Amino acid sequence: MSHTAIIITVAYSIAVVIGSAISFAVFHSTTRPLDEDRAGTWSRRETTWLVVMVVVLFGLLMGTIFYVPYGDTAGPNGQVVRVTGVQYAWAIDVPQPLVVGRPVTFFARSRDVAHGFGVYNPKGTLIFQAQVVADHEQKIVHTFTEPGTYEVLCLEYCGAGHHTMKSKFEVKPA
Amino acid sequence: MMDERSLGIARRLTISYIVASTAILAASGLLGVILRWSQAVPQARVGDNFWYAMMTAHGLGAFVGWGAFAVMGLAWWVLAGVGFPVRGFGLAMARITWWLMVLGVIGVIITTIFMGFAASWVFLYPLPFYGKGNWGDWATGLFSFSVLLAGLAIVTWCFAILHTVTNREALDSVSSSIGKRLGLAFGWGFLMPRTFATKVRSVPYPVIPLAVIGLDMIIATLPLAGLLVWQILQSMGVVGSASDLLAKNILWWFGHPVVYLLLFPAVAVYYWLIPRYAGRNLVAGHVIAVAWTVAVIANVFVWAHHLYLDYPSGTSQAQINTAMQPITFALVLPSALSLYSLAFTIYRSKFRWTPASTALFFGLVGWLLAGLSGVVNATIALDVAIHNTLWIVGHFHHMAMLNIGLLIFGAVYALLPELSGKALYSEKLAWVHVWTTFVAGMAFFGLWLVQGLDGAPRRWSVLPSQYDSITRISLVFVFLLAAAQALFFWNVIQTLRGKSGVATFDERGIPIPAASTKEWSVHAAEGALVLVALLLAFAFAVGGFFVGRETGNGGGGATTTETGTSAAITGNAEAGAEVFASSGCGGCHTLAAADATGNVGPSLDASKPTEALVIDRVTNGKGQMSSFDPSLSDQQIADVAAYVAQSAGK
Repeated sequence: MSHTAIIITVAYSIAVVIGSAISFAVFHSTTRPLDEDRAGTWSRRETTWLVVMVVVLFGLLMGTIFYVPYGDTAGPNGQVVRVTGVQYAWAIDVPQPLVVGRPVTFFARSRDVAHGFGVYNPKGTLIFQAQVVADHEQKIVHTFTEPGTYEVLCLEYCGAGHHTMKSKFEVKPA
Repeated sequence: MMDERSLGIARRLTISYIVASTAILAASGLLGVILRWSQAVPQARVGDNFWYAMMTAHGLGAFVGWGAFAVMGLAWWVLAGVGFPVRGFGLAMARITWWLMVLGVIGVIITTIFMGFAASWVFLYPLPFYGKGNWGDWATGLFSFSVLLAGLAIVTWCFAILHTVTNREALDSVSSSIGKRLGLAFGWGFLMPRTFATKVRSVPYPVIPLAVIGLDMIIATLPLAGLLVWQILQSMGVVGSASDLLAKNILWWFGHPVVYLLLFPAVAVYYWLIPRYAGRNLVAGHVIAVAWTVAVIANVFVWAHHLYLDYPSGTSQAQINTAMQPITFALVLPSALSLYSLAFTIYRSKFRWTPASTALFFGLVGWLLAGLSGVVNATIALDVAIHNTLWIVGHFHHMAMLNIGLLIFGAVYALLPELSGKALYSEKLAWVHVWTTFVAGMAFFGLWLVQGLDGAPRRWSVLPSQYDSITRISLVFVFLLAAAQALFFWNVIQTLRGKSGVATFDERGIPIPAASTKEWSVHAAEGALVLVALLLAFAFAVGGFFVGRETGNGGGGATTTETGTSAAITGNAEAGAEVFASSGCGGCHTLAAADATGNVGPSLDASKPTEALVIDRVTNGKGQMSSFDPSLSDQQIADVAAYVAQSAGK
């Protein structure tokens, strides 16, 4: 799993445990029903709950919005790879051998329908991806940290041969 | 206000929607079982295009034809329950909706299963026009028309809803202005009681989400209708191609709100039924009206969170996408507040636990789980890791089956007796159905989340082998889930046949279980037998159709068998021409004989390769060209080599 996938796994697992505990508490609470009516108090606390939710979501927004993949550039030391997707193959044009540690800019295009450029490292972990539509060039920047054979899978459904749309490229040690 | 006649109209409407959508669930559910089965068991593998055609039908059928259609029908009975009769224009629209939806779903089934249309339910433009011989423009045009019918069904339903919820008498509205009545239906009377004044009471809570989605789905569906009309015209050769990025935006402009076409009416049902089982009013203040007002606007401005990974140079897509993250987060608020209200309505109440109310409660849990995984999807930095993986499939099955689905089951168990006047056939079967659906569903969909986090791609008829073991484990839960639904169908059929007599209700309006003359296991066995027979018949029909189809095309059988490399394979140039066209060779190579003008790789007309060279390059790849060995058989490679060697330079 990628670091991001591990973060998701941990965060989602914690949230599910808390959610399940609350659900069970609500379920179990009906074994000792209240005679008095507290609906008024609970309704007023709904505003507090709203504030809590807004604060939590704002925190998540601020904590993540700066990690969007948009607008990355490789700088002067970069390497360039041109990628063309067709039903059902990737043509990957690597002019010079790619090396680890230097940013790589992928310029990806499609000749026909929408494809998804999903790159898996030698261990089979999905490390980055972007969508590729026809008539627009998609720029993706990534710096490889380990050498080996990387596999490209199509991550946007593109027709009956979608699952055969695989390709490979090499990254060499620095 | 609700006279017997109005109740009768609403009752018949709801029953007709429920019966039709339940039949669609049976069909699309079976397709779902075959899809996962084919992924898990190599011997049961169906043809690739057939798999994707079934996926297309399963998605549209289960999501729109079952989920949306069922809650759209429940809405009529909820509205009747809170004093809003369907009449006049609204009633005409509600009846037209039924026909449009049923015809649309039939069209989708015909064009996918029988005409091979397999561009998935999102039919991402321009894929419908790149069927590569698996489906033609005819199928694309008819499919687009069928989806257009379903889209129009949504629009006519919206008109019917808006007409019904702005009923001045039912709203007790002081003003006759349509704007003020609509504001009242949105719950603005809670926030501005002077402007949106009522004579007696403020609007019942279940009306609010229905009014919101009634307005939003009109805004969301009309551009999609435009795209569908364009596709129909293009299939007829009247217009040329459209911008694919624009089409993708239009698709999701509809594709996100349509999720809430399932959720918001479902919320109306929760608002209406949970208080009944809890024996107290919905615990909700005025702030919930704020959340729903946010929803009216935010719901139609979150579409691009489905395009987070589209950010091509020279477009504003990246900026639009970034703006979508906070708006999507804002859309979490109505769900968070609704779950709070519903949880406190149940909390320490004299809640009556029946199969119906248990299904509703599990539905709330499913809503929470789907919401949490949805927040992950809504966060751009996290989406990168799970976009278009099986995580997404797990997420929306939590949403569609364990939230909306369980709500529909709960509502059917709770309401079928008052709708039909007949007692539920078996309370025990219902218990087994509800618990099995929840537990098996949690396990099955949870495994999808796990596979997705591990990078398993979505919409692959054959998954990379490292995911096989989990796929096979999940098959156990698939069958459990399917078997549980069999109990549901049997229970509904027997109830409607009046097998347990006349319905009776307690003081809260909750149906009292009929005294059964037989053990529940006898019921289960009967139902299981009938359904096994039906399943077998269906499986044979699908198998027969599939085998016939493959034979008709001169292809192999259902299973792919590796015959090993034989030296005796000779290429057939005629067959090779088809392989050339269907494998996308022309995308990169120029070959005049095939009208191919690609310039990514070498021109075949110029290089005139030998047959042996073509076999080597296609099998092993070289440079930019990837190996086609996984996708083409040895015979196909020999064929295409013969074709290229004979036709290059001519």
